[in-house]
Amino acid sequence: MPKLSLMFGNKIVREVPVGGRPVTIGRAPDNDLSVDNLAVSNYHAKIYYEAGRMVVEDLDSLNGTFVNDLRIERATLHDGDKIHIGKHTIKVDTSGDAPLPWDSGRKTAAPRINETMVLDTKERRQMLQQAAAMGESMQFAAARVKVPTLMVLGGNTDQKEYILTNKLTVIGKSAMATVRLKGWFKPQMAAQINQRDDGYYLGPGDKVPSVNGKAISGPARLSDGDVIEVSGVKLNFIFRE
Amino acid sequence: MGARVRVVCGGMTDLGRVRSNNEDCFRIVTQLNLFVLADGMGGEAHGEVASALAVETVVNHCLDAEANPAAQVLGEVQPNWSANTKRLLTAVHLANRNIFKSAEEHPEQHGMGATLTAAWIDRAKLSIAHVGDSRAYLLRGGSLLQLTRDHSLVAEQVRRGVLTLAEAEESDMQSVLLRALGAQPEIEVDAEEHILFPRDVLLLCSDGLTRMVTEPEIAGVLQAETDPVRGAEELIALANERGGPDNITVVIVRVLKDSKGWFSWLRRGARKNSGSNGNVGGK
Repeated sequence: MPKLSLMFGNKIVREVPVGGRPVTIGRAPDNDLSVDNLAVSNYHAKIYYEAGRMVVEDLDSLNGTFVNDLRIERATLHDGDKIHIGKHTIKVDTSGDAPLPWDSGRKTAAPRINETMVLDTKERRQMLQQAAAMGESMQFAAARVKVPTLMVLGGNTDQKEYILTNKLTVIGKSAMATVRLKGWFKPQMAAQINQRDDGYYLGPGDKVPSVNGKAISGPARLSDGDVIEVSGVKLNFIFRE
Repeated sequence: MGARVRVVCGGMTDLGRVRSNNEDCFRIVTQLNLFVLADGMGGEAHGEVASALAVETVVNHCLDAEANPAAQVLGEVQPNWSANTKRLLTAVHLANRNIFKSAEEHPEQHGMGATLTAAWIDRAKLSIAHVGDSRAYLLRGGSLLQLTRDHSLVAEQVRRGVLTLAEAEESDMQSVLLRALGAQPEIEVDAEEHILFPRDVLLLCSDGLTRMVTEPEIAGVLQAETDPVRGAEELIALANERGGPDNITVVIVRVLKDSKGWFSWLRRGARKNSGSNGNVGGK
């Protein structure tokens, strides 16, 4: 996929893919590529695809946007071009397939489908690339894989930490539990964690667990850093990189 | 644990209120505690062909396990998996090949495919194999836990953080699958093992149920209705009340309480519970 590399001197500060959605550049933190430098305007420029070409557009910035040392308002970009914004340089890499325009693809390719259909590999790749590009530019630098982990903070368990790989993680005394509790009066299944599309949910078993000191009243979505307590065990739920 | 778990089970499939043919198919094999559900797709009657072929292939390969235990294992297996999990995974790969081959040999069947969700219970171990957007759930401790993830475009977008769950439910792309049996010569199959506890309730269902009935409603029916066949009927009725736009199939398996008590031998005669036993075919 085409990408932009933000450089300061010879160092790459950050890389972002360019998908169907424009990549915005500026000093404000809600830009896809935020550049913390006073020479950069809050919303300085944006880069997007138009008719299969990557285009940069200056957003009336105070100090201007330069492509290969030429001040521009709007310019088509080519592989290897250098965009100068303040003291930073953005290197353009257009190698890889140009993405399909996501929004138009969504509207035209799908005139309300009632019949189930399967995407063939090519369509599927393109659509997922779109999805990935959007996902990444929305929460920038999410490219690193995050591993959900339970760290044992206290209590008697068979390991000190557990990586959650299954859809269902059982915490209990059972020989087949993932997080095995040791001790005489521990329940077979104290609590469980279910991996769902939108995150990890802690649910009660024979006991009602608490999250950050509060007893849960049903399946509770876990956030990074939550502390789970159940049956005398204290676990820290974290996403590790 | 260790002993064979006792279950009562039942299933049912329904045309729904809109479709003229039922492309869903399920089978319960009580002597194996094997449960298989498929949802077919493809024009004319080919969705029915695909789902029936999928279910038949999986059931036959698992039934053959005792006679032919050394059959080749297909797919990516984890070394610690039981023979059953590997067998079930292989069976789903075979089903994919059979559907793909049939579609190649019969040009009119081009484009047919099926989802497949299968569960095999052996002792306290539950093996799950899955492709598509039918689902397996476990009701445990009052929570409904999803054991499969949909191989649909919108579900993948939720996982990638592009769509929220609410947006996914509103999307008109819900029927677009990323994976189904028969679409390609080889596919990726999800497989997993879980432990079962007494009073767990396993549910297999097609998307005709999950698109019309919410999870809290499903959990409510599973908790309130202890007879699996009546539970299936109730869930199907709920989906039909809301229009029943698609075929609906529900299979319910209840794990019974351990009978380790002093007088458990007295209850032995009462084991053949409910009228749900036997091979129940689709349609």
